[in-house]
This record gives sequence, structure tokens and C-alpha cells, in this order.
Amino acid sequence: MGVLEKAFYSPAGKALSAKAGLKEPPRLRRGRTWPQGAIVLASLGGGTVAADALSLLGRATEAPVVDDQPDTPAGYGSRIGALVVDATELTTIAGLEDLRAVLRPAVRAIEPSGRIVILARAEQDGWEAKAVTRALDGINRTVGKELRKGATATLLYVDADAASGDLVSTLGFVLQGRSAFVDGQAWRVSAAAQRPQAMEDRPLDGRVIVVTGAARGIGAAIARTLARDGASIVAVDIPPAGESLAAVANEVGGTALQLDITAADAGATIAAHVAGRGESIYGIVHNAGITRDKMLVNTDASRWGSVLDVNLAAQIRMNEVLLDPTTPGGITDGGRIVGIASTSGLAGNKGQTNYAASKAGVAGLVAAMAPDLASRSITTNAVAPGFIETDMTARIPFVQREVFRRSNSLSQGGHPEDVAEAIGYLLDPRSQGVTGQVVRVCGQNLVGA
Amino acid sequence: MAGTEPARTVEHLSESPGMGAAFARALIPRRGDTARIPDRAVTIHGHRQDLARLAEYSRVCEFTLRHSVPATWIHVLTFPLHVHLLSDAESSVPLVGAVHVSNDMTMHRAVGADEALDLTVHLENLRPHRRGALVDLVGQAHADGELVWDGVSTYLSSSVSVPGDPEGRDRTPFEAGTPHGLWRLPADLGRRYRRASKDPNPIHTSRLAAKAFGFPRPIIHGMWTHARALAALEGRLADAFSVHVDFVKPILLPRTVGFTSTATERSLDVAVTSRDGATPFLLMRAKDGSP
Amino acid sequence: MTHNAVVVGGNRTPFAKAGGPLAQASNHDLLTAALDGLVARYGLAGTRIGEVAAGAVLKHPKDFNLTREAVLSSALDPSTPACDLQQACGTGLEATVYVANKIALGQIDSGIAGGTDSTSDAPITVSDPLRRALLAANAAKTAPQRLKALSRIRPAHLKPQAPSVTEPRTGLSMGEHQALTTERWGISREDQDEIAAASHHKLAAAWDDGFFDDLVTPYLGLARDAILRADTSVEKLAKLRPVFGGPGGTMTAGNSTALSDGAATSLLASEDWAREHHLPVLAKVVDAEVAAVDHPGGDDLLLGPVAAAGRMLARRGLTLDDFALIEIHEAFASTVLTTLEAWKSDEYCRSLGLDGALGTIDRSILNVTGSSLAAGHPFAATGARIVPTLAKLLHQRGPGSKGLISMCAAGGQGVVAILEAV
Repeated sequence: MGVLEKAFYSPAGKALSAKAGLKEPPRLRRGRTWPQGAIVLASLGGGTVAADALSLLGRATEAPVVDDQPDTPAGYGSRIGALVVDATELTTIAGLEDLRAVLRPAVRAIEPSGRIVILARAEQDGWEAKAVTRALDGINRTVGKELRKGATATLLYVDADAASGDLVSTLGFVLQGRSAFVDGQAWRVSAAAQRPQAMEDRPLDGRVIVVTGAARGIGAAIARTLARDGASIVAVDIPPAGESLAAVANEVGGTALQLDITAADAGATIAAHVAGRGESIYGIVHNAGITRDKMLVNTDASRWGSVLDVNLAAQIRMNEVLLDPTTPGGITDGGRIVGIASTSGLAGNKGQTNYAASKAGVAGLVAAMAPDLASRSITTNAVAPGFIETDMTARIPFVQREVFRRSNSLSQGGHPEDVAEAIGYLLDPRSQGVTGQVVRVCGQNLVGA
Repeated sequence: MAGTEPARTVEHLSESPGMGAAFARALIPRRGDTARIPDRAVTIHGHRQDLARLAEYSRVCEFTLRHSVPATWIHVLTFPLHVHLLSDAESSVPLVGAVHVSNDMTMHRAVGADEALDLTVHLENLRPHRRGALVDLVGQAHADGELVWDGVSTYLSSSVSVPGDPEGRDRTPFEAGTPHGLWRLPADLGRRYRRASKDPNPIHTSRLAAKAFGFPRPIIHGMWTHARALAALEGRLADAFSVHVDFVKPILLPRTVGFTSTATERSLDVAVTSRDGATPFLLMRAKDGSP
Repeated sequence: MTHNAVVVGGNRTPFAKAGGPLAQASNHDLLTAALDGLVARYGLAGTRIGEVAAGAVLKHPKDFNLTREAVLSSALDPSTPACDLQQACGTGLEATVYVANKIALGQIDSGIAGGTDSTSDAPITVSDPLRRALLAANAAKTAPQRLKALSRIRPAHLKPQAPSVTEPRTGLSMGEHQALTTERWGISREDQDEIAAASHHKLAAAWDDGFFDDLVTPYLGLARDAILRADTSVEKLAKLRPVFGGPGGTMTAGNSTALSDGAATSLLASEDWAREHHLPVLAKVVDAEVAAVDHPGGDDLLLGPVAAAGRMLARRGLTLDDFALIEIHEAFASTVLTTLEAWKSDEYCRSLGLDGALGTIDRSILNVTGSSLAAGHPFAATGARIVPTLAKLLHQRGPGSKGLISMCAAGGQGVVAILEAV
């Protein structure tokens, strides 16, 4: 522990930081929990997909308070849990006023860890409509930054032919506590002909999911969260981590596979393990990763190569084997691949050229694979964690760490389970319409695009 | 319900404070009979667990030495912080003579023996009791920034008072019955547990000290009885669980005591009793999952 | 009706020298850790297994039900029964035979065989006179009787007794016995050191290849066998001074096994059960035999397995040439060498009542991933280390590949078994 860190945690340091506005961050609502207050639904221009999806989710909705009186700002009598705005028919700059009129009272009344969700069309015709689509993104990001006490904003681009059944897992995830550390983000939900059914509590029941790097930290949290959702876990980690790995596997009732993922036969070994049990892989979470941080001027070939190999090349090699339909135990049609990108990869981070390369590469990889695997109904996505409190982040020098930790709209680091929940959402069979996407779990990190 | 924690000053300690001096200091009588407690939190960052001591603790409490550590072991790691706060000049609740009346803890997930833990303890909820005042020592353990364990130890001090009406307390229900098991507690158990727990309170090891507090013989630590009861439930609780105990009556050493566990729909209920099952010493209720 | 008893796989802790990284763990802790790793590897959490048979050579009296207690501490279904079994260093293999026989007879369809030993946590007992005095005092009905019983205690009786590794009938330690055998068979120091160096090199190579990734689970932070010295050599070993056989002896700490801590387990099942449960089938347990020699009458203490192997091969109509791989437990390097010499000796084999010499083997099929000199030898665990290791090696070589295991044990006993890849 450095001198600065000691000073920070000393009584005087604490008092000083409190004066400087570094307040204790809000405690976030997590897990399969719904907002406490009312869910308010505003449909601008007659879109119905949000209403249908909320009805599938079994959530009652209330009408919005509209700020349409020039002199008296309108307000809700009590706190509201969430505002869902169906803006799928919103195509004009004039129409944005309708959005402002429902956002203003809601932002004031939203409860701690409440949600503001805007649904929009990704593809619009016409110059103004396209500009408006982009304008919504700016609004979402700004609302995310203005909301306080753990409330978040999300923009969902919904394809024109996507129906409520395609949206239900996504809207459920965003409204529930599972999305606690997802803020100011936008991603796309395509049409995937999902039947209009309610969300399931154990959507992964009986499905085999491989989690690499599962012995500790985020990987162990992923294994636990997916097992909670019903998955049969194949927990993979390097042999020296086998003791923690066995504990995780026995805890979640899965199997432990000690394996170096950079070995040439890693994919074959995983497939053989699963095939040996008479099963096939439904999903794989490529969570294993390393850092070898140095400024570029000090980065040699070994630091460069090992990070790219573990974090990126290894998963491409494994995917190739596991996606080969002739591999017994490989990934089934309708399966799922989830990679772990990083905000460092998306935004760049000093001292992490190698890491950023590998993590941005993951984002590129899932986007590239998605259209090629669509015919087999296999989705490929990535989550991009921001500052998550783990062993790895604990090694960041103190000042940098404290700055990172608070440099997001939620003023705190995320938990490993926050990443795990986002992965669970992408693995959900009902998330068929979400592919080639990168969902950032970063509390709306201030750096980066 | 999402809410914010009240902001507290945090005192950072680089290692576990020794407890001997604190106990000695605590023997000095203090002025004033209205209870006061320090409002800051004490924390140790990155505490590395001592495997040899964990092994000794596991042996004396009859846990299997394994990668996942017992919940009560983490309590033992936070205990020096309890002592540090209670022996503080800002505290008028004397450490020696304060009786540990109940304890709650939650394992949020399995914790490995090789994990570094951030341990934090603060005092809160000073409240009236018909025999003095109650105060809660609230502990938390974080690993990788994740809350993995928390505990609330409630102490009763009869030498201070708090204005107000004492609240009624629900005690875990108890029915006398023939015990399912017998534990033979030897006379040197207090000394063996002290080596592992480092709790220097002489009431557990010295007949003289025990007499000074009105016991004819040394009494075993309540947290040993708690740990032993959890060890008896090995394999019957999930990795995440919460447990409540009431320390009803001290156990004088040596003594043979009865153990009974009853599985209900929602919990495992445990009673550590006299050999005939008539008098409860410790009542425990454990539930799977964190609340 | 008989069933094929097959080896599904195994799991062990890394092994360590007494007083080393596993010194804090008891037999109970070690066996529980080995079981939990096995459960994790094969997804058996909450599964009821037919029976778990395991044991320890050095055992505390409180551990009379060691294996059952370890099962209760493990992630297995608590309704899994267990028994403790002990046949000195043959324990792990004898437990395998016991479980395999029950499976073959259809009494159980799955079982775990294992063994554990902690020489760091060896039981210390009181002297015999003290024990008798205390028992008498305990049985006394009156206070004067009790006092009289206790008055028989003398200060010398109070010295604690560490467990001894000497043969009760000869008063010689196992090393001293083997030194006699080594001299009688004319085994050279160089040959012994070569066996020891090769054991370390082969074990190290197997670790580097990831061979043990699905056979070992780390415990208490130890991820590899701690006794292993990859950089040892015949030259380095030649520098050690003899510890058995007097100043002119040839047996050193380098070519004798170290006192060790560790536990090993092996999952066995009927072939049907394994396939129904979608578990790997590596090799079947074909046959086994136990034999003993008259070591108080002057026989070589650790050559018991020779008679066992001879009788078993004769019964099966097999010769040493039929084996793809052979595992001879390295109690001492010279045990391996005298066993090979004994197999070659027409005279010795006939003296055992066999038809003649068993023959010679190609050294390249012997202990191919190293053995006890490099891995360590927690007595009861070794058999349960060898069985899954050999089963995996045979499976890699293809169906029909046969392997022979030969293990010497205290009391002049020897346990042998044949595995065949499925």
C-alpha cells in the first residue's frame, strides 16, 4: 500500500475527499429484481412493441406525466421505478420535443437504481430521420450522465420487423437489477421470430456452457450466475488454479476442466470433455484473459504476443474447432459465443497497447462472426467491462485506480456479477435477435466512445 | 431497497492490531454511564490469511481444512477490529464484561484460503436493554472488491445505559428434547481455541479471571460453540448462506453438551444444550442463500 | 453374471515431502481434497456412489472411520457408503481390487478407491505400560484401586512413541531390509541412481506435457509434486552418501522414496454405468493377485510381488511380452532393479513354485511417466496414483493395450494387477 493510499483512507484524508465531493457511491439494485416504483410507458407516435413486451414481462404500466404547460413544470406525485419510451415511430426534430416532455418529469422523479429506456429504430429513411436516430443516442448518453443514485439510461435499437417476443429478454434485462452497471449504452435487437412468451427465471436450464478462466473473480461469478439460471457449467482454467476451479465446479454442480487455453489442442480437449459426457456445447464464454501492461516504448515481443495469444488468438483457434459441425461435443446450432472485450480496448488506455489490441480485436471478432453464423442461429456477442473490482484491477496503482473507479456515471466500480449478468442475458435463448453486439458494462465510463 | 450508506470516517490499519494491550486498557474503569461509541470504521486492506493458523482453527473447531474457509473464521479475522474499536477512548462500552449475546453472518460466496480480504468493522445501533445497553459490531469482508462476507455481533454491556425503552427481542424458539449428538469439551479447550482465535480474554482460560466475572470455572468462547455447530452442518449448507445465533448461556469447561439439528422447510435449526437437552446454551438458525 | 469393472479416471493431490507444503493437512483433509477434485472433474456433486474404499497406513485412532468421514466432508451424496482398508503400501491398489471385484460381481455399479497418508501428521502414541496403566485406572471401580493402577506409571513410560517403520518381526526398517536384498542381488549404486534420475526426468516431462492436468488437482496452493527435481542427474545423485547398508551401502536418500504427504483416488464403474452416465472409459481391471514371502525366515522383504505376478500371469496365460506398459512401484530404486532381476531368474522363480523365469522387459515401457522416487510415496495413496495414471496411458495407446502393476508392501507382501485399455 502506497503513502497516498494510506493518506486517502486516513480520517483526515476521508474528510478531505468528502469535502472534495467524493461521496460514498450509491448502492446499486442488483439481481432478478424489478424497480420498486411504477413503470411508466410513453409511446410517442403510436409504437406498440414496448407495450407488448412489457405485457409479456407481466409488468403493469402507468401513463406518463407530460411537461406541456409553459409555466408550471409537471411532476409525479411519488418516485417512479422506470420510464420506457417507445420512440420507434419518432422521425422528426419536432417529435423530439415529445421526448423531452416525458423525460423531464421522469428524470426528476426516478427512484434510486431506476431505469430510463428509449426504444428506437436503427434504420430510418430520410436525412432528418437519420439525424434524429443519432440525436437519440446523444440524448441517451446525456441522460445517463445526469441521472443520479444508481439510475441508468439505455437506448435500444429495435428492428422494424422485430416483435415483442424478440424484445422480451432485452427489456427484462434492462429493467431488472441485472443491468446495474450498464449505463448510457445503446445496442441493437433484430427480428428473430421469437414466440411471444414471458421471460424465464432459469432460461439456461440443462444447457452446457463452457466458461474459461472460471476459477476466480469474474469467471467464477459468471459460472455462479449462469448456474443460477440453470446452466450445466464446464469450468475451465489453467491447472495451477485447479483447487479454486474444483471448488467452483462443485459449488455450481458442474465439471472442472484444467486446461491451458493457449495449447494447440485446447478446443479439441474441451469438445472431447463435453462429448465424453454425451453432450454438446450450447454456449462458450471466452473469459480467460491476462494483462502485461507497459508503455509501448517498453513493450517487447513477448509481452505483446502473450496477451494477444491468450486474449484473442486462443479463442479464434477454439472457436474454429468448436464450430466445426464434425467436432463431437462442439457448439450446437442455436448456440451462443460470448467474448470479453474491454473499455480499454474500445477507448484505448495508456500502458495497454497489447491489451487494447486484443480486446478491441474481440469486439471486431464477434461482429465479424455474427453474420457468418446467422444461418446456424448462433449468436456472437461481447461484453466490455469497465472498472470491475477484481484481482487484476487491484494491481493498478492507487491514484489511477481511484480515478478509474469513480470516472463513470455511477461513481463506483462494478462487481464481477454485473459482467456475469450481462453475459447471462446474451446467452439467453430468447436473446436470439441480439448478435454481433458489444454491450459495455462500465457504468458509462467517461473515457471512450 | 437501494440506499446510501451513511458516510463514515475510515481508519486504515496496515495489519491486525494486537489485542492484549486493548484488553489491559479495557480493564481500567471509565467515567460516565451514558454510552458512547466511536462512529468511524476500521479497516485492513488486503489481509492475507495464515494457512497454519487456519489449519489450527479448523482442527480445534473440527472443520475440514479445505480451500473454502469457514464463515466463523472470517469473523475471527475481524475480531481484532472489534477489540480495537471497543477499547477506543471514544467508546464508553467497556470491552471486558461486554457479553456477546447474538451474532448474524452471511457468506455471500465461498471464500478461498488464498484470497486477500479487505476487512472493515464499525459500531452502530447503540440501544437500550433492560440490563444496560446493546451495541452492534458490523463487519464486512470484501475480496476483489466484492462483498463476500458480512457479520453483525451484538454485545450487551451492563455497565452503561442508553436512555429510552428497551425493545422486545424475539429469541429463536427452543424445545427441550433428547440431543442427537454429544460433544465432550475438555478443560483445555479454551486454551486451544485461544491459540487459533488469538482472543486473549482470560475468562476463557483462567479460573481466577472467570471467578472475577462470577463463573466458577472458565467458559468456552461463544464463537467456538458457534463454529463447532457450523462444522457439524458440513455439507448441508450451500456455499452462500446466512446464519443467526443466540448465545443463551455460557458453557463452563469441562463439560459434555448436547447437539441437535432440525431441518425445517426454510432453515436448519440447531440447539447446543445441556447433556439432557433441557437447557439451551446456543441456538442457531442457518438458511441457504444470502438474504 | 460378471461385469466389466473399468477405470473412469482419477484425481490426487500433489505429493509433498513430510513437513513440507502439505504438513498442515490431516489424512481426513487430504482424502477429502482428493475426493472433491474427483467429484469436480466428473461432475459427481450430490451423486451417490456405490462405495468408497480407501485407507491410510499411519492412522490416528480417532480416524477409525477415515474414509466415511471424508465422504461426509466431500461434495458426494452423504448416503455414499465407505470402508477403510489397509494393506500397508499396497493399500491403494488393494482398495482398487476390492472395488473392482464388487463391481464385477454386480454388488455395486460405481466405486471410488483411494488412499492417503500424512507422515507430517503421524499419530504419536503413549508407551504401552502407560496405556495399560491408564486403561486399568479407567476400569477401576474405587478410588484406591484407581490410585494403585496409576502408581505403576514410571517417568520413562511418559515418553511419547512415534510410529515406527520397522518390521515388527525382524526389527529392521524397510530400508535396512532392502539393503540386504540389494547386496544379495548385487545391484550397483550406478544402476540405482540411473533409475532415480530417470524417474525425475520422466515425471517432469509428463508434468510439462500437461499429462497430469486431468489427474491432479492442486491443494493448499501446491500445484505440482513438491519432491520432483527436474534438474537432478546421475552425477548429482552420485554425490549423496548412503543411508542404508552401512558405510559401503549403495542406497541413498536420492534413490529411496521420501516420507511423503498426499492422497489419491480413482473412479471405477461398471462399463454400463460409466456409459450411461456419459463418463470416460479408460481401461478395465482384468485381474489381480496378492502374495507374501517368508521374510522372518530370510526371504527378501520387498519381493512379494514376484510370486504374485508369476501366479497371475500363469493363470491368465500371459507373458511379460504381452504388456504395453509396466509400472513397478519405486519404494527404492533397488526394489525395481531386484524385481527385474528376480523376473529374469529361473532359479528364483522356480523357488517360488513357478514354472520358470518370467522373462526380461524393455526398460522403455517401465514407469514411463515416472514413479514414487520422483512423485513421492504417501504409503496408501501410491496404488491409487498408479491405477488412473496407467489407465490413461493405456487408453492413449489404444484398445487392447495391457499394463501390469507391481507393488511391494510391508510384511513381505506384494500386490499386482492387470489393466487393459477399452
